[in-house]
Formats: sequence, C-alpha cells, structure tokens
Amino acid sequence: MANLKEIKRKIGSVKNTQKTTNAMKLVSSAKLKRTEELAKRSRVYAAKLTELIEEIAQKMKQSNADGIDNIYFKDIENPQKVDIIFITADKGLCGGFNSQTLKRTNQLIAEYKEKGVKVRLRAVGRKGIDFFKFNGIELNNEIIGLSASPDFKKASEFISEVAASYVNGDTDKIILVHNGYVNMITQEIREDQLLPVDTSKLKLDHQSTSELEVEPDDDDTLLDALVKRYIEYTMYYSLIDSLAAEHSARMQAMDAATNNAKDMVKELQVKYNKARQESITTELIEIISGMESMK
Amino acid sequence: MELMKLEIVTPDGVIFDAEVKQVTLPGSEGEFGVLANHATLVSLLDTGVIVIDKADGKEIAVAINSGYVKVEEEKTTCIVDGAVSLSAEDSDLSAALEAAKTLLKSTEASNTAIATAVSKVEQIGKSF
Repeated sequence: MANLKEIKRKIGSVKNTQKTTNAMKLVSSAKLKRTEELAKRSRVYAAKLTELIEEIAQKMKQSNADGIDNIYFKDIENPQKVDIIFITADKGLCGGFNSQTLKRTNQLIAEYKEKGVKVRLRAVGRKGIDFFKFNGIELNNEIIGLSASPDFKKASEFISEVAASYVNGDTDKIILVHNGYVNMITQEIREDQLLPVDTSKLKLDHQSTSELEVEPDDDDTLLDALVKRYIEYTMYYSLIDSLAAEHSARMQAMDAATNNAKDMVKELQVKYNKARQESITTELIEIISGMESMK
Repeated sequence: MELMKLEIVTPDGVIFDAEVKQVTLPGSEGEFGVLANHATLVSLLDTGVIVIDKADGKEIAVAINSGYVKVEEEKTTCIVDGAVSLSAEDSDLSAALEAAKTLLKSTEASNTAIATAVSKVEQIGKSF
C-alpha cells in the first residue's frame, strides 16, 4: 500500500511541474511575439543606417587613394588587445541557449590567447557573469538587466564607454558575440566585429554615380557621428535579437519539458494501475485462503 | 508639380513613407528645403521640425531630436532617433503637441535651438 501512495504523490508532483512548464511556454511565446515585432521594426532603421555608412565610406574611399583614413576604419592585421562583449540571458531554463554563447566565447578566448593577444571580457547578462565568476575569470563589465529588457539609452551608454576605450587605444578590436534569432525553432550564434568597422562587410565596390555633397562639409565629423550611432544601434539590435532567441529557446525547452512530463505521468499511471491490481489480487488471495482454511 | 518620395525612419519603425511636393529639414548647418531632383546630399539633422508638403496640398510637421538625411534625385530618406508627427487630422492634437515639445526639450541641443524648435511647433499647432 505504501508503494501505491508513493506513486500517487509522484504523479501529482509531475503534473504540477507540467503545469508550470506549460505556463512558462505560453509566457515565452507571448513575449517572443512582442520581441519579434520590435526586432522587425528596428531592422529597417539598421538597414538604412548601414546604407548611409556605406555611401559615406565609399565616398571617402574614392577621394582617398590609400583607403579610408578614419580611426574607426583602420585595419589592424595583428591586434594586440581585443575586447569581447557577450550577451547571455539573465535567467536559465532555456535549453542550450546560454551555454552555446559561452562555448563560442571560450573558443574565441582560446584562439586569441594562442596568438598571444590580450583579451578583455565584457559580460551582459547574469548567466554569463555567473559562469565566468565560477571559473575565476575576471570580467571588465558586468551588466545585469539589460538583456532582459533592452533599452536604447542604457545600451548606448555602455557601448560608448567601450568605444571610448577603443579611441584611447586601450583596445584594438571589439567583438560582439550573441545567440541570435533565426525562427521559432532555430537560434544561431552571431559574431560581429563592432570596431574597427568591418569594411569587408560593407558593399564598397560599386562606383557612385553622382557626386555626393556632405553637410557639415567635413567627412570625418559626419562619419564619426554615423559610426557612433551605428555601433550603438548594432548593440541595441543585438540585445533585441538575443532576447528573441532567448524566448524562442525557452519556448522550445519548456515545450519539451511539458511533453516529457506528459510521458512521465503516463508511465507512472500504468505503474500505479499495476500496483493497485497487484494489491487487490493479494487481498483476494488472502480472503480466499482464509475462507478455505475455515472450512 | 513634380513629386518625390520621402521616407522617415526611426528606431521604432517607418513613420512616414509617401510622395511629397516639398520637405523642409533642420540641417546642422541651417534649415533647407528639398524639392524633387535635388542634388544628392547627406546631412546631419539637428533638433528641430521637419515640414512636409504632401501631394494633396496638406501640411505635416514632424518634430525630431537628431538624425541624418540622405537626399537623392527621386527619394529623400531621413534617419532620425526620435520623432513625433503633427498633422491637422490628428484627433488629439494637443497631446501630440505636448509629446513633440517634451521630445524637443529632452535633447542636448543648445537652449536657443530648442526654444526655436518649440516655438515653431507651437506656431504650426496653431495653424492647423
């Protein structure tokens, strides 16, 4: 009988877990929809901004024989100091979402260490911070709360600080790693080189048809302002992208958990039925044998 | 009158995308108007008001904090950080006006620039 009670208790607890995971899945899917919408709207802005940078960079390239002469565009072949920014979630329970980002970050660190490059880490998101703290690796920045609710102002404050250290010469290269959203069931690790601006990614080969006038009449001022805006926006967009991916990953994880719980309840129910049948049979045998002995 | 395409993009999405007659922009070196077939130009935009002459003759004002504009012969694209649009068809014009003023005042531009922009917004608000 004790066994019966035990199984019944287990069924109850698994059912409760199932309710929780199901609720979490619903919450995530609602949040995902909202974040997706946000990402969709800001994508247009990002595209236009990139277009404009391409145009200006193109113009500067044409007027200058030895490439683009701007601090944000200088090409460093052997960087000595690299900053890696990585975005993880503040919360867990989202499958391999965080560990994938951390794995990639670790890979990058190992790659650069091999080349003798100094690496500084800047963490956004509690899970990433916890991971590196546990492993006793020092972090330059620890930002909590930004990855759960991306905010343009906070994101630009953070990235301006990083960009300033690039201009000072404290770092030669800034890389941003995050787990991006592809669709409801897939996430993909994305790695962006924030600074210097990756000219290989810009479309600079086309010849502009007409002379572009620029106001203020100083290319550098405009380009500086544009690049600053560009990296701020890339940072902000990456946060949104990462959040969307987090929700989709959590949705998947919770969906799987709900299904597993369902299977488990089924299994336990069978076990329970068997045990009940067994106990009834034993009781019957006892009664019958008791009757038999009384004859 | 020849028309051109005007697009205003903010981080929250596209807020204006239509054919217009003329647009007046608050450039960093001074206000300037753009008609169709304008020479290609890229300019920084300061805190101020974009005034749009729509194809149907109606006027719209958009208060912005800062941004960029790319002018091409057939198309003008404004990339701005924050914008509030005002038009005579707004059901709640006074609320829109308030929002526009708050946006203008929240910028880091000089006091005179903000004051000019605010008074311009008020003027436009009255004209509707």
